[in-house]
Amino acid sequence: MPTDTSAPIVSMRHISMQFPGVLANDDVSLDIRKGEVFALVGENGAGKSTLMNILYGMNTPSQGEVYIKGEKITDFSPSQAIAHGVGMVHQHFMLVPSFTVAQNIVLSSEPRKGIFYDFKEACRITEHLVEEYGLKVHPTDRVCDISVGLQQRVEILKTFYRGADVLILDEPTAVLTPQETDELFQVIRSIVREKQMTVIIITHKLYEVMAISDRVGVMRQGHLVDVCRTQDVNERILASMMVGKEVLLDALDRSECTDQEVALSVDHLEVLDNRSLPAVRGLSLSVRKGEILGIAGIEGNGQSELIEAITGMRAVQGGHVYVLGQETTGWKPGKIRKLGLAHVPEDRLSTGVSGQADITENLIVGKESLPRFSIARIHMKKQPMRAYAQEKFNAFDIRGAGVDTRVGSLSGGNMQKVVVAREFSFDSTVLIISQPTRGVDIGAMDFIHKQIMDKRNHGCAILLVSADLDELYRLSDRLVTIYEGQITGTFTPGSIPKTEISYYMTGGRKEEAQ
Amino acid sequence: MKRRERMEYLLSLLVSVLLAFLLGGIIMAATGHSPLDGYGALFTGAFGNQRAIGNTLYKSFQLCMTGLATAVASQGGIFNVGGEGQMYLGALASCWLGAVLSGHSPFLVIPLCLLAAIIAGALYALIPALLKIKLHISEVITTILMNSIAIYFCTYMANGPLKTSEKGVSQGTASLDKVFQFSKLIKGSNLTESVFLIAIISVLVWYLMSRTTTGYRMKLTGQNQRFAVFAGLNASTLGILGMLISGAMCGMLGMFECFGLQTRFKPDFSNEFYFDGMLVAMIMRYRPLGTILMSFFFGILKIGAITMQSKTGISSELILIVQSIIIFFMAAEEGILQNLRRRRAARMAQTVITKGGGEG
Repeated sequence: MPTDTSAPIVSMRHISMQFPGVLANDDVSLDIRKGEVFALVGENGAGKSTLMNILYGMNTPSQGEVYIKGEKITDFSPSQAIAHGVGMVHQHFMLVPSFTVAQNIVLSSEPRKGIFYDFKEACRITEHLVEEYGLKVHPTDRVCDISVGLQQRVEILKTFYRGADVLILDEPTAVLTPQETDELFQVIRSIVREKQMTVIIITHKLYEVMAISDRVGVMRQGHLVDVCRTQDVNERILASMMVGKEVLLDALDRSECTDQEVALSVDHLEVLDNRSLPAVRGLSLSVRKGEILGIAGIEGNGQSELIEAITGMRAVQGGHVYVLGQETTGWKPGKIRKLGLAHVPEDRLSTGVSGQADITENLIVGKESLPRFSIARIHMKKQPMRAYAQEKFNAFDIRGAGVDTRVGSLSGGNMQKVVVAREFSFDSTVLIISQPTRGVDIGAMDFIHKQIMDKRNHGCAILLVSADLDELYRLSDRLVTIYEGQITGTFTPGSIPKTEISYYMTGGRKEEAQ
Repeated sequence: MKRRERMEYLLSLLVSVLLAFLLGGIIMAATGHSPLDGYGALFTGAFGNQRAIGNTLYKSFQLCMTGLATAVASQGGIFNVGGEGQMYLGALASCWLGAVLSGHSPFLVIPLCLLAAIIAGALYALIPALLKIKLHISEVITTILMNSIAIYFCTYMANGPLKTSEKGVSQGTASLDKVFQFSKLIKGSNLTESVFLIAIISVLVWYLMSRTTTGYRMKLTGQNQRFAVFAGLNASTLGILGMLISGAMCGMLGMFECFGLQTRFKPDFSNEFYFDGMLVAMIMRYRPLGTILMSFFFGILKIGAITMQSKTGISSELILIVQSIIIFFMAAEEGILQNLRRRRAARMAQTVITKGGGEG
């Protein structure tokens, strides 16, 4: 345990980072001491990765200064950070899949023999690093043939080869099995103890913070809320710090829900993720008309796959989906939509809109062959389309130059309003809504919440996925927590404090919570 | 905003064209020719007499057809580099059928030949479309390779199994009846009756692309396929449709060339002019109306260059240089504009921070 008086190895002073429309870091000051394991926790979008990307030189902060080993960083670039001994392992690995382990490790400063690449030396270097740090990999294996856990070791060894003594790990355990996680933690402990390295670990999982870190910093909405010694806190305290105080918004009008008819149900659903690993594991739920069912969970626990499977955008491996009493398992999105389902997707830019098309074109999808907008379903009547778009443009308070504006040039909030305006205009009984207000300012957020509540009061069945607990608490009639593709609990928002629910989201079990 | 972008684009297009001509002029001067004479000859070569005008018009229509063929496939999200092969197959199929049906009424034979050209071109375009959609194989690679297959296949057929028995013809299929052939509109020029068909097809394709619900759905698919699927459109079908139309257009153009200018299928009927049209479409970002208009500009360049070379001795390759420079500038234009926009955005972000920092 380092002493409090030692000079910080990394010092970030008054860092602010402005992205278009989002202030990702707001006046953050943070000191990291030599030889400690520092955990950085916070909800999605709290600014953890942004802050560490600045330290690694990937982003130049809008304001503030960074000192590494007492030296001020003037030129923000990864090569500068590496020169100062900072290494980072990203969530998504940056390896060349067709290269061998050794080739990847020495990449960018390869050993040479004359003008030739010295493969043998590369392998020797790798073996030496493996021995020194106890991270077992085989130098001549190709990266595409080895497991994700081993790939991560290659990433870590790569930073060591480049002389890193400050190692940043961005959600390193997200891709690991529990056993691989244990091994990683052993390695972290040993390099800190024996090599006097400093490790910064970004994570969502609070038990990992408790298991590995000396100190922990909590981020929320771009601010560094607090930094504490890990031994002074517990998971519950951390959870409440992450969630923070409620944003004060007017209460929403919620009419009494009398309809008991189930509009959407999912029965023992099994879905795979993009890597063909189980993402949704035998999950069942049902939503009644006039009810909002909120799904609370840390991102990457199967929510995206669940939504995609329900809406027909991802193959279902097992189980059933019923929309309005009709089994829709394996149907295409268009067919499910016709039955009466609308979908606000989590990623608006890649899924929810066509950025190159204008607002009118984005609002009219799905209605283009109505008699109102076309002659004989073929010839488009452009004037009525524009008029319709203008009407929605005004009603949803979309701010842009006009309905001819390309959607790609709108801010996140306005783009989201375009998506919501379209999806809420179909008279669908079932609404699947994912991250409706991510990256959206508070005014637009309140507006979108009112629209959602209005739909509920008119008898829609709404399935709501959000990383924002405040949002879930404000809107949901019922809440379920999801962890690793399974539902870990069902609650009513009034009956459980946020601190407790975030405990279930991070893998807590009911027995321990009591 | 969209309108402003379009204006920005037209402006930069104009600047590119002017700069390209300027650079072309400098090269002429540097190689000891008068740029004025050179461009003068280019102009008279394109418009100097009836024959020149006819040739220029025909070239323009030809580019228009191939350009729109590229554009319509791209609108559905598939980049058709295989028009040349589709054109060869369309030409061979129609010429073969035309020769077989020798002696019948042209009112029966020509529509049947047109149908044969459409089917041959469309089916040949269907293969790379299916490979792309079902197996995610890049259409750029498959279409380029399939060009060679089609061209060599047709060459083989014209030299072998389908070779004419007429004396004095070194290669090619049996000749078409005189009544089947498209007659010349201007004597001595390449302008044949087929331009009326091209004009009708072009208007139809323009209409499909910019005024119909199908064209609109194709556009969304091409812009963001995931969005198209999400919105319930049948993205695969729309992509295939674009390729089918594109292939059919190429097939028909192959027929027009052979029925109008060659009297039979000859393996050398095309000097890769599909790619000229493809470039026109790329410069105009696959917009149908822009492609049609730009075809005429490039038609003038192409035909004028021939006279320029013969009259002034300036190599017609110079026009290729001018053409390449225009394309070069247009390709860079996107990057330059984006760069400018990004800087503008960064400046705005900076102002937000200094003015209202800490409000988020």
